[in-house]
Amino acid sequence: MTTRESVSAVNRFGLGAAPGQLARIGDPRAWLHAQLRGDGAQARFAGLPASLDYVRREADYYRERQAARRQGESAKDVANFGQRFREDQLHEFGRRYQVAVASDQGFVERLVRFWSNHFAISIDKRAAALYAAPMEREAIRPHVLSNYADLLLAVETHPGMLRYLDNVRSVGNDSPLAQRARRRRARADGDAPKREPGLNENLAREILELHTLGVDGGYAQADVTELARAITGWGVPTTRELAAGRASSAFVFRAAAHEGGTRQVVGRRYAEGGLEQGRAILADLAAHPSTARHLSYKLARHFVGDTPPPALVARLTAAWQRSNGDLPTVYAALIDAPEAWGEGARKFKTPDEFVVSALRASGATPGDKPRALIALLARMGQPPFTPRSPAGYADEAAEWSGPDGLWKRVQAAQSLSESAPAARVDALATARELFADALDADTAGALRRAESPRDGLALLFASPAFQWRC
Amino acid sequence: MRLSRRHFLGAAGAVTTLSLWPGLSALAADGDTRLLVVLLRGGVDGLHVLPPRGDADYARLRGALAPRDALALNADFALHPALPFAHGLYARGQLLPVVAIAPPYRQRSHFEAQDCLENGTASASGASTGWLNRCVAALHGGQALSVSAVMPLIMRGPGAATTWSPPLPEDVNPILLQRLQSLYAADPRLSDAFARALDSQGVGMDAARARGGRLPQAMTAAARFMAAADGPRLGFVEDSGWDTHSNQAAVLARKLGELDAGLRAFHDGAPAVWDRTAIAVVSEFGRTAAVNGTAGTDHGTGGLALLAGGAVKGGRIAGDWPGLAPSALNEGRDLRATSDLRGLFKGLLSAHLRIGDSALETQVFPDSRAAPAMRGLVA
Repeated sequence: MTTRESVSAVNRFGLGAAPGQLARIGDPRAWLHAQLRGDGAQARFAGLPASLDYVRREADYYRERQAARRQGESAKDVANFGQRFREDQLHEFGRRYQVAVASDQGFVERLVRFWSNHFAISIDKRAAALYAAPMEREAIRPHVLSNYADLLLAVETHPGMLRYLDNVRSVGNDSPLAQRARRRRARADGDAPKREPGLNENLAREILELHTLGVDGGYAQADVTELARAITGWGVPTTRELAAGRASSAFVFRAAAHEGGTRQVVGRRYAEGGLEQGRAILADLAAHPSTARHLSYKLARHFVGDTPPPALVARLTAAWQRSNGDLPTVYAALIDAPEAWGEGARKFKTPDEFVVSALRASGATPGDKPRALIALLARMGQPPFTPRSPAGYADEAAEWSGPDGLWKRVQAAQSLSESAPAARVDALATARELFADALDADTAGALRRAESPRDGLALLFASPAFQWRC
Repeated sequence: MRLSRRHFLGAAGAVTTLSLWPGLSALAADGDTRLLVVLLRGGVDGLHVLPPRGDADYARLRGALAPRDALALNADFALHPALPFAHGLYARGQLLPVVAIAPPYRQRSHFEAQDCLENGTASASGASTGWLNRCVAALHGGQALSVSAVMPLIMRGPGAATTWSPPLPEDVNPILLQRLQSLYAADPRLSDAFARALDSQGVGMDAARARGGRLPQAMTAAARFMAAADGPRLGFVEDSGWDTHSNQAAVLARKLGELDAGLRAFHDGAPAVWDRTAIAVVSEFGRTAAVNGTAGTDHGTGGLALLAGGAVKGGRIAGDWPGLAPSALNEGRDLRATSDLRGLFKGLLSAHLRIGDSALETQVFPDSRAAPAMRGLVA
């Protein structure tokens, strides 16, 4: 039997109903709980390069370009970065959208995308461009059903995050590397670095503000600086380290750049311990009550409503603290909370959610190199992995429901209806697959009167009912 | 390009029942001036844009990061060399830099600082609507346009504001629109936005083809709309990419080039209203006074605002310069903010848009007596 709760389970908790799905899922809560025992569908990404492969290929690219320049070849003769790596990027995106559109584990897929946006990095930054999609499948997927501390550590040690927020360039002011540089500059050594290496607190600040405690979570500028010092030396293999065969992972801890000494972060002291010091701080931050509250609020807002019920946030926070940040325990508390199934629970789809849910509903399959799909998302204001800040894309209706956004959805609905496979072009049947009998009479009537089957599908995708995850 | 009265009168909604030409009557009374707010998200390094060459501590703090070949403004300040058009405006008395200014927020989160700047209160959570939107309401018949795909906080609220950005190339089936119209009318959360979307459909395809980066494109589009006789009096354009934690010299040379091209694009695209225009280029905070370890700067406090336009009383520097001496710095690291951005905005709304004091103090910038309106910003 299909209930209103089944509709919510596939459309609001998941990425949208695919043909036949509503009829298959049975008990909606049990369907969601069962997904918490999976592995994040890592196997679906087999065959794609690892980040270390990209690090090597990127180093090769810069070496070739330098060699070409030395031989006097003009810039035109050497492929630019975009030409060299565009196909790789398209392949990554193709797989990501194929999995999203085909998955029958919509809740876990939504959680992956939620955390991916929580740990937002942007391919607009050249140094991080190759690592955004890999970070999602290497750091986030394997830990989406783990303890938050594991997820946090995996992300903060991934080349995508380390490069996006500049930690690869951060050097302790009293580290061996900085001291050596000072000595060489003092004696005017010809090979001395042109400027003194030093601390960059960008990643540390966003770890505290965005990734863990939250902006009101009880930290000060001194905590930012101390955390920044603790994670100096967390980096990505350099060209020289790669050439020397010393790199076996895309993460390296460079002791020479690390600032030694004890650190004090958010009221706790951490003894000197190299890499372990930063790891210990992250583990404590992951379990901190402010982190529990901050992320419980974000989860509740993402799944239930722009202004989530305080009682729901409190339940999730309690589950977080009780389980010391065990994410499946928190997700289970969300599934079991009555507030998560209330009449008022609904979310306005982001452009990405709109497009993915339309593709799922129409039974379409994104291509291996989905250029048109990426272009469409870009025009709608949400190209993959390109948020305008490390805070990620907004998760509130007000950000996406403006006149321009709605107009582009109408245009996109037309394009999407045109790309639907011929066998699926029946708007009323598709609407029943999405909403069962919960579709309002006006929308149903309009679909019945559509000029053609494809017009009907465009009307369905452009309709107000389709813009909401109810 | 199709650009007609219909497009923006429609956006004013119910006001049209009160007067046949509500826009024109309001404009005639108010002087038909234009205000464009340009928000550079990320915290612009004012010390790099407007090097205080007269400050003895500047060279010590910035060293090799100080821009070379800066364009002199007066004995104390110069302009970054990537801003030649702005420099020309200064010479014509149409550029007014305001130093050491920031919203009242004193922490260092981009997002909270931007929320504070946009909601027009003393804190990030002080209001859920934006001051530009509240300003529309106070204008009686004025309209506002945000050149963006999504409605930014500064424009959110019940006032007549619309968003516009380059549309998808596909023409929309008019029948589809007719049918959607009645469906959206029944969704209270979306009906208003959809009505406005219908009203501005298809406008501005050629602006989308303008070249030279997102900011010049957006300012080209803003000029097209705002130069129309009944165009929106309030405009908003945003840009990101100003959070320069590393290698900032190269990043800012490019970004400031885009800002300069954007100012030029508006000037060239809106000659009919340039003399009646004030453009306020602002950012959520400034950056640390000293260079960090990666040839960049971190989040700071006192920032820079640039006013440009034919209506601006420029050719001079405004604001109080607190200096860069160690004892003058905020928390020993940032330029202190000596002016509140709300005072700058209030000064513009009062003198340039002629918004009355009571609307200004109660509606647009409530509880802002601590930030009195700056005087003498416009001619």
